Amino acid sequence: MTELRFRADLYSGFAVDAAVKVYADYAKFELEQKDGVYFVKLTSTGDADEAMIAEEFSNYALGTTIEQHRTGMG
Amino acid sequence: MPNVDKTIDTDTLVLEFDEALYPKDAIYGAAYIFIDRCYVHLDRPSPSRVSVRMKLKPGVERELGELAGEFENELLGQAWRRQIVEENRQLIEQVTTQALAGAAGPPGLDDLLAMDIDDETAFEDPLGIAMSWEDKYKKKGSDVKMKAGDEASSEPSEDGGSVPADKH
Repeated sequence: MTELRFRADLYSGFAVDAAVKVYADYAKFELEQKDGVYFVKLTSTGDADEAMIAEEFSNYALGTTIEQHRTGMG
Repeated sequence: MPNVDKTIDTDTLVLEFDEALYPKDAIYGAAYIFIDRCYVHLDRPSPSRVSVRMKLKPGVERELGELAGEFENELLGQAWRRQIVEENRQLIEQVTTQALAGAAGPPGLDDLLAMDIDDETAFEDPLGIAMSWEDKYKKKGSDVKMKAGDEASSEPSEDGGSVPADKH
């Protein structure tokens, strides 16, 4: 199991949710929001490297956050 | 505390910035440039600082020190662009407003018919139709001079009016 932390003032909750949907085929996710931080616990469900899924997940969440911020939705 | 803290591990680079100097928008802009070749993660180690952790993606061969320099350059560029936009925001909005107003053109017949005309607004003349040609196109400077000349060259007549000086 890998735990990721995304600060709510830097990452959009919508973007984190979107990333969960995109990577749902590769890992099982548990989400929690506490003290302005999104905690994401992910466990790989297939052969894919869990660390790599976590890094790709994090990149996807950041990219979506920035795109949302640019369009004024973030 | 320095403006930029740099930590290089074996495969990970961590840069830490003061948000007062490099706003979040600029950090976002720079981070977005690098997400195609690095795994990028943002965090906030203290209330006024933002950290950027970058790890090269598999197959990307770069020196992390060089990458740090590139990121800092990009960040500076992003911050500078943002400042230019802020400084010119009022001018851009003004030009856009004028362009939109100009595109709308003068009111047409339908607009005039749709106007709410009552006793108070009946004498408004948005198209300048009621203005005489002389009033509309006369040159203000020459008009003032002409009037001044007329006054100097005239004197009161017997019936209270004025007659030109050359009549005497």
